[in-house]
Amino acid sequence: MTSVSTNFSAGDMMESPLHHHVAHTNHSDAGIVMKEDKFRGHLNLRGNPEDTAFTSAVESVLGVALPITANTSVRSGDTVAYWLCPNEWLLIVASGTQGQVEADLRLAVANKGADQHIAITDISSGQTLVNLSGSGVAELLQKSTVYDCHVSNFPVGKVVQTTFAKTGTTMCKLEDGSMDLVIRRSFSDYFFLWLQDASEEYGLQIA
Amino acid sequence: MHHIYCPYCEETREEEEYSYTGEAHIERPKDPASITDEAWGDYLFFRSNPRGIHHEMWFHAAGCRRYFNATRDTHSYQIHETYKMGELPTITAKTIAADTLAAQQGDAS
Amino acid sequence: MSQVNRLATGGRIDRAKPMSFTFNGKTYQGFDGDTLASAMLANGVGIVGRSFKYSRARGILGHGAEEPNALMQLHKGNATVPNPRATQVELFDGLTATSTNGWPNAEFDIMQWVGIIGGKLMPPGFYYKTFMAPQKMWMTYEKFIRKAAGFGKLSLEPDPDTYDKLNVHCDVMVVGAGPAGLAAALEAGRSGKRVIIVDEQNEFGGTLLGSKQTVDGVDAAAWAEQATSELAGMANVTAMPRTTAFGYYDHNFLCALERRTDHIGPVALAGTRQRVHRIRAHQVVLATGAIERPLVFGNNDLPGIMLANSVSTYINRYAVVPGQRCVVMTTNDSGYQTALDIQSAGRTVVAVVDSRHAPDGRLVEAAKVAGIQVMAGHGVIEAQGGKKVTGAIVAPLDEAGDKVTGAGKTLSCDLIAVAGGWSPVVHLSCHTGSRPVWQEDVAGFVPGPTIQNQHLAGAVAGEYGLSQALNAGIQAGATAAGTECAQVFNCGDESEGAAQALYLVPHTKPISRAPKQFVDFQNDVTAAGIELAAREGFQSIEHVKRYTAMGFGTDQGKTGNVNGMAIVAKALNKSIAETGTTIFRPAYTPVTFGAIGGRDIGVLLDPARHTAMHPWHVANGAEFENVGQWKRPWYFPQAGETMQQTLNRECLAVRNSVGMLDASTLGKIDIQGKDAREFLNRVYTNAWTKLAPGKCRYGLMLKEDGMIFDDGVTACLSDHHFLMTTTSGGAAAVLAWLELWHQTEWPELDVYFTSVTDQWATCSFAGPNSRKVLEKLCTDVDLSAEAMKFMDYREGTVAGIKSRIFRISFTGELSFEVNVPADQGHYMWQKLMEAGEEFGITPYGTESMHVLRAEKGFIIAGQDTDGSMTPYDCLMGWAVGKTKTFSFLGERSFTRPDTARADRKQLVGLKPKDPTVVIPEGSQIVMDPNQPIPMDMMGHVTSSYWSECLGHGIAMGTVKGGLARMGETVYCPLADGRVLAAEICSPVFYDPKGDHHHD
Repeated sequence: MTSVSTNFSAGDMMESPLHHHVAHTNHSDAGIVMKEDKFRGHLNLRGNPEDTAFTSAVESVLGVALPITANTSVRSGDTVAYWLCPNEWLLIVASGTQGQVEADLRLAVANKGADQHIAITDISSGQTLVNLSGSGVAELLQKSTVYDCHVSNFPVGKVVQTTFAKTGTTMCKLEDGSMDLVIRRSFSDYFFLWLQDASEEYGLQIA
Repeated sequence: MHHIYCPYCEETREEEEYSYTGEAHIERPKDPASITDEAWGDYLFFRSNPRGIHHEMWFHAAGCRRYFNATRDTHSYQIHETYKMGELPTITAKTIAADTLAAQQGDAS
Repeated sequence: MSQVNRLATGGRIDRAKPMSFTFNGKTYQGFDGDTLASAMLANGVGIVGRSFKYSRARGILGHGAEEPNALMQLHKGNATVPNPRATQVELFDGLTATSTNGWPNAEFDIMQWVGIIGGKLMPPGFYYKTFMAPQKMWMTYEKFIRKAAGFGKLSLEPDPDTYDKLNVHCDVMVVGAGPAGLAAALEAGRSGKRVIIVDEQNEFGGTLLGSKQTVDGVDAAAWAEQATSELAGMANVTAMPRTTAFGYYDHNFLCALERRTDHIGPVALAGTRQRVHRIRAHQVVLATGAIERPLVFGNNDLPGIMLANSVSTYINRYAVVPGQRCVVMTTNDSGYQTALDIQSAGRTVVAVVDSRHAPDGRLVEAAKVAGIQVMAGHGVIEAQGGKKVTGAIVAPLDEAGDKVTGAGKTLSCDLIAVAGGWSPVVHLSCHTGSRPVWQEDVAGFVPGPTIQNQHLAGAVAGEYGLSQALNAGIQAGATAAGTECAQVFNCGDESEGAAQALYLVPHTKPISRAPKQFVDFQNDVTAAGIELAAREGFQSIEHVKRYTAMGFGTDQGKTGNVNGMAIVAKALNKSIAETGTTIFRPAYTPVTFGAIGGRDIGVLLDPARHTAMHPWHVANGAEFENVGQWKRPWYFPQAGETMQQTLNRECLAVRNSVGMLDASTLGKIDIQGKDAREFLNRVYTNAWTKLAPGKCRYGLMLKEDGMIFDDGVTACLSDHHFLMTTTSGGAAAVLAWLELWHQTEWPELDVYFTSVTDQWATCSFAGPNSRKVLEKLCTDVDLSAEAMKFMDYREGTVAGIKSRIFRISFTGELSFEVNVPADQGHYMWQKLMEAGEEFGITPYGTESMHVLRAEKGFIIAGQDTDGSMTPYDCLMGWAVGKTKTFSFLGERSFTRPDTARADRKQLVGLKPKDPTVVIPEGSQIVMDPNQPIPMDMMGHVTSSYWSECLGHGIAMGTVKGGLARMGETVYCPLADGRVLAAEICSPVFYDPKGDHHHD
């Protein structure tokens, strides 16, 4: 049969989860600005935080120590590590470097003679990083998540895995007060529908 | 709506993030083949159903995805404590009864 | 008509802003600041509706949430709103309201004659008793009963408004912005804590707004304004008027409904009409106040009988006096304030009738000084009038208030203000399961013990005086905020004489013969009805409630409950403390369904999950099927095709050439660790010890009861690295299951699980030409039948993309699955479509997939199994390892007597006797279709399709002892009368030897 192709040019192999929502604004001074940080490398890392050989091996690759405290993150250049649970982290690295980082991590752990029980899983395609900023973000988050995102409870650098409308997210507060959210690919269309709806009273800009 | 402290996230979170997963401290028989049908049936199907203190498992489904235990009053819904897998409760029906008795004796004296 | 009852001055209304509104078709005028109720009273509107059971004319009783009678049908068309209380509806220009019942109208109502004639014949339990038999007639009775009963009507059109929800968090939540609430919020706010204060009215202040008292020398209303503006200036305080805290749930969680535009017009012009605030508070201050109790006497429901405090509120806050000649009946001092208010408004106080024999308080003296006649030791035992009060029969009572001790006389009047004492608003405190306790000195129920971080302030705790309320409020605010406060309010002399508890004013006739003495106005419950319930043996207050309907409905017993409980107690010769109270449930006042739904409607009701190829499916005309939350292509119809024609075309393409399915939705779990094999051994029925890297194996997962839970293919990527697939709907449950066992029972196993469902996009293409398609795009893997066998796994490059290639089959044909990172899934799908074009590659959906797998007898966990099927029940003993050392999950249950029964329902193939027939899925299976009903059910059809390649219908189903019944004929009697016959056979209809997928 003859199939219909959709806004897809040859050679352009990659589509991010929110690729079909192109930059636009529906409001002169939109209260919500959404920006997808496409194609970042996302690696899920598992390991024993009490094994210093493991943690120092990871630090040698990332340039920063893994966050061991619950709900925290560390950031170094293009690399950020989120605490997810006592033995699980999300590493977000520069686009396209995830394969190398994974290989470097495995090598470093092996060289340190660390407890070999680690897992590294590339999930770069399975989720995406979205930044929400603007004057309406605080209330938008109140509409969307049961978690208390007030600055008194959610300082810069904090990482929280919680619900977002009827899907889940991992959120991290940035220096500029904006929020980074990790959204699963299959839920990204729902996420966007929700965002669009919840932003209506503030105006939405897709950057 | 419960507000539940996750011992791994070290925070109190909304019930929406969790799912309830049944009575805690039900151990799988070490050698299932060697036990009677009745003992196996007890393990499979029979659970305590107290009015009052209950030790139960919760799964932090939308959070850290860890299972943990809670000591919860099934009547008042008060959560006395939550604790990690592998740990034992510090508050039980017995300790509460003892505390109550001590308090009463304290009142009496 | 002019506003006959409107005062020339005073009140918190804006006479410069007149507004017109219609009630039951007539146009009236009111002012900005009015409620619908105050505007109706200003215009002399008496009858606002008809009662629920007896269709008696009813007027406005109260001024707020307690109003039981004035339920309105507001607005028209799709914006219509049923049942708000006129006392809580803010007036706006153009508002239209009608009564919610009364036929043909509330003024002249035919049902009232039924009420009058049948009234004696309609005791509590009337419906149960009358319409019990014959049972089959109930459906008929019910239609008529429902038509005669009930209140407002919903629009059948879509709601034009939108609603939303906010999740909010605070340190201190204050419910109610009367004196106690304002004081609490001020103190908590000054401490810097995050504070939320809500009040259901349009402005903060509560009773302060209609009070003539002072606070530290400032007029009460002015003090309320000062407090409100101080709160508004605090960044840490969220102050929300027009917001009702309607539910108080566990662990200090409250829900509040904010009415954002209801006071402006019938529909919101912008934004959401109402918003639910889901509030998690650290500390809660309940300052919900108290509701005045009506007095129970004969015909006490006539229009023109109102709560005394409400009369005062109408006068002082709305500049409306709802009568010319007023009798005040009271059991305490507060009725005297109302008498003074009426008199200073220039209307006549005929008398204050006080049940107490020697009232002597400050207000009593003030009334006497003002020249008001006080009839101590008397009671209004009966009201007179038809559609409106025309007189009050007043008679002397004994000291206990139990008996009429002398002749009555009639006082002519058009308003009877009743002051029966106060009932604390304990509703919210009950919502978390706390039972109110009777407090004799308060003569009311107050909130009982609770485990919530709950503080009480003011009238809700029986602290009725203004300074009492303010001081309790500021202390509650301090306690909730963790501060200390030495401030004390002074409101002048507030001394009051002792109140009398009088729950039923005696009549000269016994209760059963006296004119109706109403206890619960909204549900038409009378003192006689309650007494009858007690006589008929109802002892528990909860049973009396259900038998009489006292406290039911939108009213939740706000005015009637305490009187009712007291009457029950007396009838049972018990104290009120002994009989206790029923408890109140959310919602405090009704909440619209729109607000409960919020934005979780339409496409936002449930997330739709999409694969990376979804845009292609949409562009190519796919019809979609919901699988869990996934939208999966169901079939790809071409122009002019019926669904069956599409399926036939798709299935034949797979059997004869090649078809492609988007299998991205299958759950995928990445498993790493040196104990991964051992873990798989424990959770799957079969053995994993020897599965070599590059190989795949099908596995069945059981619950401990031995029943199939999920299935899927797991590939060995390397010795310590596996990729498990699950059913599309079961992915989350399977991952949670693996984590459960790892975290709780086998933490010593070194294994980690990570969901990669969304990471990989999966193109599954099947058919004799599938290899040729792949060979065009993949050159770095030897795809020959010898090199890459059935159930092999390879890594390779397909269309330039690093891919995971599996040779597995769910169709029975030669088949490959190419997995690529989902970012490249859409691209890969298109490249494969292009490569397959020369072979007529045909995209197919889940329906053809179901047909193809059913032709092969492959089960779908969750369709052919239902949590009660073992592998043996499904003819899948081959997938169960017999020599595994570890007793895998579910194994032990195989030998339980019930699991081992020979006559269990077992999955078999069913071949319809008539080859053109497709048996409906879900059909029940019987052995003898001619047996009498109820028939002996042997099982049911789980899967059934038309097989184009076989030329006949095929089905699978469960049949008791089915495996031993091969060749037998079974019957499916259908609802339409047809009986379809089928032969029990092997479920493998196509290529039983499996040659095709091994090619």
